[in-house]
Order: sequence, then structure tokens, then C-alpha cells
Amino acid sequence: MILGIGAGAIIAALGIGLVLTYRSSGVINFAVGAVATYSAYVYSSLRTAGTYPIPPLPNPLAIAGGPSLPTSVRFGSSVAETPAIAMALATAALIGLLLHLLVFRPLRYAPVLGKIVAAIGVMIVLQSVVLLRFGAQARQVEAILPTTPVRAFGATVPADRFVLLGLVSVTTAVLWLVFKYTRFGIATRAAAENERSVTLLGFSADWQAGTNWVLACTLAGLVGILVVPITGLTPNLLTLLVIPALGAALLGGFSSFVIAAGAGVGFGMVESLLLIMQQRLAWMPKLDLVDALPFIVIALAMIMRGRALPSRGAVQTRNLPDAYASGMSFRAFIVLVLCVVAAAIFLPFDFRNGVTVSLIGAILCLSLVVVTGFVGQISLAQMALAGIAAFGIGSFVQNAGLPFALGFVLAVVAAVGFGLVVALPSLRTRGANLAIITLASAVAIQYLLFERTGWFGVSALGRKSVPPPEILGLYFGPSTRFPIGDSKIPQPGFGIFVVLVTAACCLVVTALRRSHLGERMLAVRANEHAAAAAGVNVRVIKLTAFGIAAGLAGAAGALRAVQLGTYSPGSFDVLASVSLLVVAYLGGISTVSGALVAGSLFTQGFWTVVTDRFTNFGTYQTYVLGLALLVTLVTVPEGLDAYHREVGRALKRRWRRPEPPAVVHEKP
Amino acid sequence: MSQRILDFQDVDAGYGGVAVVRNLTLFVDAGEVVALIGPNGAGKTTTLMTVSGFAEVLRGTVRVLGRPLPKLRRAHLIGRWGVHHVPEQRGIFYGLTVEENLRLATRHGRVDLDRAASYFPVLESLMSRRAGLLSGGEQQMLALGRALLSEPRLLMVDEMSLGLAPIICEELLPIVRRMADETGAGVLIVEQHADLALEQADRAYLLSHGDLVFDGPASTLRDDRGFLDATYLGLGGGEESAP
Amino acid sequence: MTESVVLETRELTVQFGGLLALCDVSIDCHRGQLTGLIGPNGAGKTTLIDAVTGFVRATGQVFLEGEEISALPPHRRAHRGLTRTWQSMELFDDISVRANLEVASRRLTFAGGLRDFFGGRRVVDERARWALEVLDLMDVAERKPRELSQGQRKLVGVARALAGGPNLLLLDEPAAGLDQTATVRLASQLRGLIDLGHTILLVDHDMSLVLRVCERIHVIEFGRLIASGTPEEIRADSVVIRAYLGSSGSRA
Ligand SMILES: Nc1ncnc2c1ncn2[C@@H]1O[C@H](COP(=O)(O)OP(=O)(O)OP(=O)(O)O)[C@@H](O)[C@H]1O
Ligand SMILES: Nc1ncnc2c1ncn2[C@@H]1O[C@H](COP(=O)(O)OP(=O)(O)O)[C@@H](O)[C@H]1O
Ligand SMILES: [Mg+2]
Ligand SMILES: [Mg+2]
Repeated sequence: MILGIGAGAIIAALGIGLVLTYRSSGVINFAVGAVATYSAYVYSSLRTAGTYPIPPLPNPLAIAGGPSLPTSVRFGSSVAETPAIAMALATAALIGLLLHLLVFRPLRYAPVLGKIVAAIGVMIVLQSVVLLRFGAQARQVEAILPTTPVRAFGATVPADRFVLLGLVSVTTAVLWLVFKYTRFGIATRAAAENERSVTLLGFSADWQAGTNWVLACTLAGLVGILVVPITGLTPNLLTLLVIPALGAALLGGFSSFVIAAGAGVGFGMVESLLLIMQQRLAWMPKLDLVDALPFIVIALAMIMRGRALPSRGAVQTRNLPDAYASGMSFRAFIVLVLCVVAAAIFLPFDFRNGVTVSLIGAILCLSLVVVTGFVGQISLAQMALAGIAAFGIGSFVQNAGLPFALGFVLAVVAAVGFGLVVALPSLRTRGANLAIITLASAVAIQYLLFERTGWFGVSALGRKSVPPPEILGLYFGPSTRFPIGDSKIPQPGFGIFVVLVTAACCLVVTALRRSHLGERMLAVRANEHAAAAAGVNVRVIKLTAFGIAAGLAGAAGALRAVQLGTYSPGSFDVLASVSLLVVAYLGGISTVSGALVAGSLFTQGFWTVVTDRFTNFGTYQTYVLGLALLVTLVTVPEGLDAYHREVGRALKRRWRRPEPPAVVHEKP
Repeated sequence: MSQRILDFQDVDAGYGGVAVVRNLTLFVDAGEVVALIGPNGAGKTTTLMTVSGFAEVLRGTVRVLGRPLPKLRRAHLIGRWGVHHVPEQRGIFYGLTVEENLRLATRHGRVDLDRAASYFPVLESLMSRRAGLLSGGEQQMLALGRALLSEPRLLMVDEMSLGLAPIICEELLPIVRRMADETGAGVLIVEQHADLALEQADRAYLLSHGDLVFDGPASTLRDDRGFLDATYLGLGGGEESAP
Repeated sequence: MTESVVLETRELTVQFGGLLALCDVSIDCHRGQLTGLIGPNGAGKTTLIDAVTGFVRATGQVFLEGEEISALPPHRRAHRGLTRTWQSMELFDDISVRANLEVASRRLTFAGGLRDFFGGRRVVDERARWALEVLDLMDVAERKPRELSQGQRKLVGVARALAGGPNLLLLDEPAAGLDQTATVRLASQLRGLIDLGHTILLVDHDMSLVLRVCERIHVIEFGRLIASGTPEEIRADSVVIRAYLGSSGSRA
């Protein structure tokens, strides 16, 4: 158990980093691990090669095939330990400052979800910078902390584990004291709650936020530098450790440094304990459980601690973009559908594929429109639910031999069933806590269901084959020959099938928004208390929304499986769920049209196909995408759909006579 | 002695380029208690927001302690100069305890508990409670207590007696009066209970639909109830019935 | 218990940690009457409304129309006809004023939900329309609450509670922040509702309103009932004057 102390200290350190950023700005900083990684790489280059990489890239002009430029500064063959640490930390601090100035300050009035999405964007960018700049190879880093072996509790452990633990404890204590007793700390908490009110008291919310970003990033940098000698340095390691760190932060309710740190250490220990037990006890399930278990336990703990309705005077931070009802007439809609059908038939094959991928993506985004856009509950489990249906359709149709239509329906029903289970925590938790608990559900589904051979009939390769859709004897498979057009895959038949399913889904969500049920959902999103007092059964509304959303996700998952003909768990993992949220937000998370815009942004979706035709970023793909994400977000903080509406309104104003401006009151 | 603390000269102020308050000339001198009254929607809140930098000055000049207003990005400077604004929504932080809320207002972060309690005795027993849990009136007392503790040079209170029990309302104005007399601070209060406000104030401004309809000694308005009621009923009050 | 009692609380007690916010409070509201509830700040008036409507856990019993409802969750109590407003309004800012009211006025049934879902245009809800008319809000029905003035927002809160089809309407400081004219208008609107046979419990600190419109008044202090009676009795009660009214009782 003592062996887990090192891992525990790392998780704890990242956990308090997460709490720090959350308390100072309400952002779940997914990028904390990436900042740590980047700093660690800077340190390692300084030590081993004496070079300081000039961010951001090996050669910014490489994209355009331009001349190569010097991309690093040399300081002899190697830099001594102390200056190297100082430089790496300074880099981390600089990243913090830049994040504040370039990303989070412009987003200061954006919905909180927008800021979270921005943090994910930062993570993507940093991650790809690391890969491009330093390569994927693991590096060994010379120890900084003393490594003399120490005997404790019957095990021999290098001393650095304990030093690390000590450092984490000290940092935790300091942060706790600062946030509880200093004017700076109190004002930081106050600013996270209401920026305008702290300004009235003479605090510069801007300066405050900047300081906290620098602080948080420096802390992350320090973690990176100190732990990589223990863990070895790979581009992904620390980024992935964010997930257990999120669990630790969650147990502290994203507000307690002490609990988060304690939970982190506990995590590491429990994991090593489980590992040992697995070696001794053969009947214990394999490694997967080790990853999932603590997370599930924490989720349960949070649910027990939660309340059916928020307590009096709970701080509300749940503003989301406006959920406009669609103004499109049914006739216009039919015309639109016919246009897309035509596109699915007559476009070249790569565009046809783009259309299909985009539409399936749009259905996935619609599922988030329902839970997040309408009811205000952030779900990071939608991809996992889609996965359930994807595997379900294979089992029902391929293995059990049911007719396709029945199999499809059953797969969706299975997704709804799981969706309702995933929804249970939402009855007692909300906000950031709920978001991370749904992430835990996704992790659980991934490890406990997808990654086990035998279940769902997944073969040893972790793949599963899926038959083409067949309705009334007609086949609509991606490779079923269609009478019109060329013979390249995908054939238009499948495209048409997808268009029709998507159209049905859009109609359902549009009808939902216009219906009384939809209004009740928005009432819950606005104010759970007041909704309950008006006679709304908040639980039923939430469960209904999660159910509908799971159905949509399920439909999309099944379609995706059919499209590829064979399916593997990788595409439904936790990261896929996270990126789904990013894309859906970017398109517009509260409207049907937003979901359609978002769908076109999917990887391999329509937009990618178009850009691929004209540009080729090659290895820079992810990096460029991440940057594009950030730039888009900073320019349109409420998503593209809100922006389109704005532009539309401005155009209308040009053409018509000016209307008197609407009176808008500052929200209390 | 009578330093000019707040000075509006022919000001149009509002939001998004649209003027809500027009042609306002108003001043507050040191040691003065000035009442700003008027029906709902008259522009009282907007006037105070202008001083704090959250409503735009569209015309004219506003000077605080002799200085022009800073840009919006530097609005916090106004607070540093010694202006304390209790906004309509009270501006207290639900996530902090009462004590922490009070500490934000004091220079060195040390709370003079006795002084806070001397203004509002109930606060003493509430120190460790989360401010979000307080009753509406207790929140108002916290906001006012914090304002008084901060030793402002200009105190602006929006809807001062909102949600306060009558017995507290009565004590409130004398407290503010005393503070103005003792520290020489200028005080600008917005108050729905016009009678209470006019009893203690030196001067009064009466706003209606964004226009100044009276300015002068509070006693004039106090003695001329007819004019006051006419403003609320005739000129004002139209807000709800307007299309 | 007589026929005319709409709401009765028996020994209602609410405890928050070590704090006794309400202690054995037994009050009642009679049909067709406007009952006032007053008391110093922090006395427990809002807590009483919270307890009656099911938002805080309380011991003791609550009866509505003679039936015990102490164990029901908030939305079920609302279905039984117990509707309320909030001290800080708490409107649904994302939907129109009309939709705000319809959330309260319509029940969600499975069949109705399906019909709604697939059946194009909806009929205008009668009760919501009536509530809008009573409170003079027709003009702003299609606006969003955040576009309205403070005074109008207050009224939307009352209208929403009214649209719920209340047996008993619980109003928490509806006049706070309203100017004199608006308060006078509110007073006549409340009396109008009483004339239509509604029953109201009114919490407010504006004595000119409470003492004028209420038939009976309950006074609480530190979570305990300290007086009940007609406005005249309350105005003259020395305990109430010392604890709450000060000199304002004589002025109002
Ligand atoms: N959840 C809670 N936890 C702890 N204390 C609470 C909680 N809710 C209310 N209180 C306390 O209970 C007391 C009664 O509050 P309540 O809101 O009922 O007062 P009120 O009579 O409505 O006062 P006001 O007239 O100021 O609105 C207050 O002291 C308040 O701080
Ligand atoms: N943030 C805002 N944006 C646009 N108009 C506003 C805003 N706040 C207030 N108003 C409008 O300005 C007018 C005056 O409002 P306000 O200053 O709040 O009045 P008062 O405080 O006197 O009741 C009202 O008509 C109101 O609708
Ligand atoms: Mg105002
Ligand atoms: Mg109250």
C-alpha cells in the first residue's frame, strides 16, 4: 500500500490544482496535466540537451513548407538543476499568464460551460504541441528529489515518494490557509461568485483572475518537474492522470483542498493495494476494475451527500446560451431534407461520407442539446451510451439473428436503460460535480463493459462486426450497391437512411422544445426551486431528458456501428465523450440548428472533408484544430449558432426599419 | 470644509447607448446625506451605477472626489478611492461566511467585530453562517454593515430599507446620519420610504422617468406632500401601465 | 378543525443544525381571507413558507383543506393547490412570461404530453391568461422576464403563483422594492383576489400594506408565535410594537 504513495501524491497534486482553478474561476481545468507535461519536457530538454524550446512549434512555417528556422535556444550542453527548474517554472507561469490574457479574460462573461470547453481546447493544443515538439518516445529524467530507499511499514520505498507527499501536504495547507484567511483568498472566492460585486469593493477581478491562473499553472509545472523522474516522461501520462485527479477533486466537492489531497493520496494507495490483491487472489477481476472502482466509489459518496434540491442560497452558475425554439416551417424543413438527400446521392464519395458522419454527429449533439441545452445538466457520458447501442445492435442482429429494425430498436432501448442509470446521480447532484460523476459513469461503462472480451460478443481483438440495415427486404448498407451514382463506398442508400433518421430526430427535439414538456425542462434549467414550487416534478423532468438524450445517442451509436460495419470500443471511450461536449458546445448547445452546425464539425465530417480538399495540415492536424477551437470560442463565446442568429438579426435590422432596443436587466 | 464628493454636470447616462437618465445635475458634499427618490424605473439605480462605472456616461461629466471616472476596465479604482456602493442586489457573496463578507470591506482584512455589532447587533450571532443562508433582511443588514465598516468617503445605498423590518428601518437613517456627521463622508441614498428618508436627509433629488423634477432641501419636499404624491401618481407610476 | 380552515400548521418546528428556526408554530388561514404574517428579520417567516411548501424538512404537521400533506414533496403540494412566490423572485429567465405562467398552470400528464408533442399549435391556457389579466401583465406576456422592470418582475412572480390554481397563495414580500403607487395598486389587486374567493397568506414588511389589507395577522419572533389577531389588535400590542413595529404602527 505504501507503494502507492508516489502515485497518490501525484494525483493529489493535480487534484488540488483542479480545485484551485475551480474555486478561483469556476472552470474545470482539464489542461492542468498538459501544463505539467509541457513544463516537464522543458525541464528535461534543458537538463539533457541544454536547449530551451521556443514555443510553440518545431517550425511554424513547416505547414507551408517554408524555410526552417532556429527553434530553440542553446545554453551549452546541459543546464544545471536549479536554473533549469527556474526556467521551467517560469515557462509554466508564462503559460498561465497567456491563458489568462488570450483565452480566459476574453471569455470572462461567457457561460461557464464555454470556459470549461476552452480548458479542454487548451489541453488539446498543449498536448499536440508536446507531441510535435518532443515526439512520442518516453524519456527518462534524472531524479531531483533524494531517492535513498527508506523502509516503512514493511516495504522499501525511495525517499522521494515521502518528500513528494510532504510537499503536497505543505502546498495543500498553504492553499487552505490562503483561501480561508487572507484577503486575497477570500476575494478570489468572491470574484468567482460575482465579479461585479468584488469590483464595487475595489478589487480588480482581472488582476485577481490573472494571478490565480499564473499560480495554478506554476503549481502544475512544479508537479510535472518533480514527478517525471518517478514516472518517466511520456506525452500522455500526466494528461491521463487528470481523470483520477478529477475524482479526487470531486470528493472534495471541488471546494476542499484538504479532502481533494487526501482523496488523491488514498486513490494511489487503493490502486496499489488492488494491484497486490490481484496478484494474490486469482479470482479478482483484471486491471480494468482497478481504474474504475475508486471513481465509482467516489461517485456514490457524492450522491449520498447530495440533495434533491439545491440548498437555500446555493450559488448558481448555470447560465447557458439561450434555447431558441426553431422558427422553421415544416415545409421549409422538408425542402431542407430533400436537399440533403440529394447531396447524399450526388456528391462525390468522400463528401457523401462527410455528410453521413456529420449527420450522425448531429444526432449525438442533439442528445446533448436535450440534457445540457434544455435541462442544464452537463453529461460526459453520451458517447458511452452511444457505444452501448453500437455494441447492442451487433449482438442483437448479428449474434442473435433478430431482424434489423427490431435490433435497432432494442439497441436504442438498451441505451435508454443505461441512460436512466447514468441519470440517477443528477437527481441529487448538479453542476461540476454532476459533470464529473457522469464522466465516472462513462469510465465505468468503458472498463466494465466495453473492454471485456466475451461481453457483447466482442472478439478477442476487441472488434465486433455489424450487419447492414435491412428493412422490408431492402438493404441500406454503406456497401449495398445503389442504382444511382458511382460505385464507391459509401453508397448513397445508407446516406439516405441516415438523413431520414436524423430528420426524425430533429423533428422530435424541435417538437420537444416547443412542447409544454420542453418549457418545463427550461424551467428546471433556470431554477430548480421555483420549478418545484410551480408543480414541476424535477426528478421526472431530469430522467425524461436523460432518457430522450440516451435514445438519441443510442440511435447515433447504432448508425455509426452500421456505417463502419465493424466496431471497437476505442471510439466510445471517455475522451470521445469529452470531445463530443466540445463540438456540441462549439456548434450551439441549446438549439437544434446548433446541433446541425456542430455535426458538420466532427472529425471526418463535412467540414473536415471540405478543408481537406484545399489544405493539408498533416501532422499538425490536431494542433490546428485545437487552435481553431480556441479562436472560435474566443470570438463566439456562446457557440456558432448564437453567432449566426446575431448576424441574422443584424442583417434584418439593416433591411427593416430599426426596432427600439430591448430593455435588458442585469440578472440578480 | 464642504468638499464636493460627487458631482454630476448635465449628465445623460444609460445602457447600450440609450439614455435612461437625462440632463442630471447632482452633487453631494462632504458630511451631507442626500436622498434620491422617485418611482420604479425612474433611473435611480442607473444613477448610482454610473458612479461605479457600470452604466455609461453618454453626455456631460461625472466627477468623484474631484477626479473623472476611470475606464470600465479600471472600474475597481472607484472602490479604492473610498466609494462604497451597496447595489440593489446587495452585492454580498453567498458562498462566503458573514465574517468573510465583512472582511472584504476592511483595509487590512481585520474585522472590527464590535463596531459591526454596534450597528446591527444580530450580525454578531451570525458571523460564521454562510451568507447565502441568511434571511433577506439579514442579508441587507450584512450589506449595510459592511458598507459602514469600510469607512467610505462616499456611501451610496440603493433601496436602503429593502426587506427590513420597520423597527430597523427607523434606526437605519440615524446611523447613516451619524456616520456622515462623524466622518465627514458624503452619503447618497435611494429609498422607497420617502418619508423616512426626507426626515434625515439634508437635500433631496426627485427623479421621474429619467428626468429631475425636484432638487433642493429635503424639508421643502417633506412639507409639500402633495407635490411628492403627484409625482409618484401622475408623472411616475406610468411605468406599469405603459405599453 | 372547521370547514373554513384552508391551511393549518400544528407545532411546526424547523431546525438548521443547532439553530431553532421555527419552534412549535401553529397557525391557520381561513377561506376567503387575507392572513398576514409578520415578524422581525430572521424570525422565520420565509422558513415557515418553506416548511409549508415542503422546501425544508420540518417536524409537526401541515394540513391543507383538512388533509395532512406533511410528507409530500414540493411539487405534489403545488398540485394540491399550495403555491408561493419567492422573496428574490426566482423567475424562469429563459422563457416568456406566458410560458412562466403555463409551467405552473398546466399539469404534465403522459397522454397530454404526447398530444402536445405531436400536435402542432397549442391552445392558450385559460388560467394563465386569466392570471395575466388580473395582474395587468397582458402587454408583456411574450417578453422574457429579464427584459422587464423590477416592479413588473415582482408581479410576474405573483401571477405565476396565481396561475397554479391555488387553494392558498403564499406571498413572500411581494411589495419589497415597489414604489408607493405600485404598492397601492398591489393592495387593490390582492383585495380583488380575495373578493373572488381566494385565500392568501401575505408576508411583508410594508405595514401600510399589511395593516390595511389583512383580516388577521400572525406575528412571529425568533421562530415562535408571539401574537395573533386583527390589525387593530396587533397595532396596539405592546409586545409587537417593541419587537417589530417601532413607531411605524401608529403612522401606517
Ligand atoms: N438552510 C439554513 N441553514 C441555516 N440557517 C438558516 C437556513 N435557512 C434559514 N436560516 C436561518 O433561519 C432564520 C430564519 O430565516 P427566514 O428566512 O425564515 O427569516 P424571515 O423571517 O423570512 O426574515 P426576513 O424578514 O429578513 O426575510 C435566519 O436567521 C436564517 O439565517
Ligand atoms: N441593464 C440595463 N439595460 C438596459 N436598460 C436598463 C438596465 N437597467 C435598467 N434599465 C432601464 O432603465 C430604466 C431605469 O431603471 P432603474 O435605474 O433601475 O430605475 P430605478 O432604480 O429608479 O427603479 C428602466 O426603464 C429600466 O428598464
Ligand atoms: Mg432601482
Ligand atoms: Mg424572508
